Amino acid sequence: MVMVRAIVRPEKTDAVLEALMDAGFPAVTKVSVVGRGKQRGIKIGEITYDELPKELLITVVKSKDKDYVIKTIMQAARSGSSGSFGDGKIFVSPVEEVYTVSSGVKDEDDLVAQAGAADAGGEG
Amino acid sequence: MKEVMAIIRINMINKTKKALADAGIPSFMARECLGRGKGVVDFSVLRGAEKGYEEAISQLGQTQRLIPKRWLTIVVPDKLVRRTVETIISANQTGKAGDGKIFVLPIAEVYRVRTGEAGDRALDEA
Repeated sequence: MVMVRAIVRPEKTDAVLEALMDAGFPAVTKVSVVGRGKQRGIKIGEITYDELPKELLITVVKSKDKDYVIKTIMQAARSGSSGSFGDGKIFVSPVEEVYTVSSGVKDEDDLVAQAGAADAGGEG
Repeated sequence: MKEVMAIIRINMINKTKKALADAGIPSFMARECLGRGKGVVDFSVLRGAEKGYEEAISQLGQTQRLIPKRWLTIVVPDKLVRRTVETIISANQTGKAGDGKIFVLPIAEVYRVRTGEAGDRALDEA
């Protein structure tokens, strides 16, 4: 299993979530974050904005689905046809173990259909 | 060292905090987050569709709704991973979908900012 963490523009979040849902990866966790990148924020006149609001999307997928998920996020999160500064970053890190709390079962890479960050449903 | 990342129900946070402290794992980080899993069920849409509202029926299958959750990050030495995972599961298990997920990730290095200690020593309780 791998964890894919994508930092995307807030206005692109819905497009990414929809693309992931259509691609068959519904399980996602979203957190609002602020940050800056290589461009050191945005300078407008005299003021530099270096805490730009972004959304952090976390999803855990099987290793073999990694490239497809990254491609899906990349296409949906890009602004314009060729992309521009501030579209975000995607980080991939290994996940050693995954447990589902409701069943208490450890999910194995090839057994689980699709394990996501948040198992939603029920009464929250 | 391992990072135990758990996504749990928001109303379970106090119970989980207590259970972890009792198990000897008092330090952790918690955040609010939104999420959805593989079995997203929007009950208001379901109930509406049951009663035959056209609007609700058209929304069936469009599950864009994200559910508020708590996101816990706990960094523990290798030998405490099992205990941490079992504590979180036993505190949060209701048996229904939506109880959450636990991920165990490798951590390369840990430092304590106050003293500059590195590795497992930085995780030891003083």
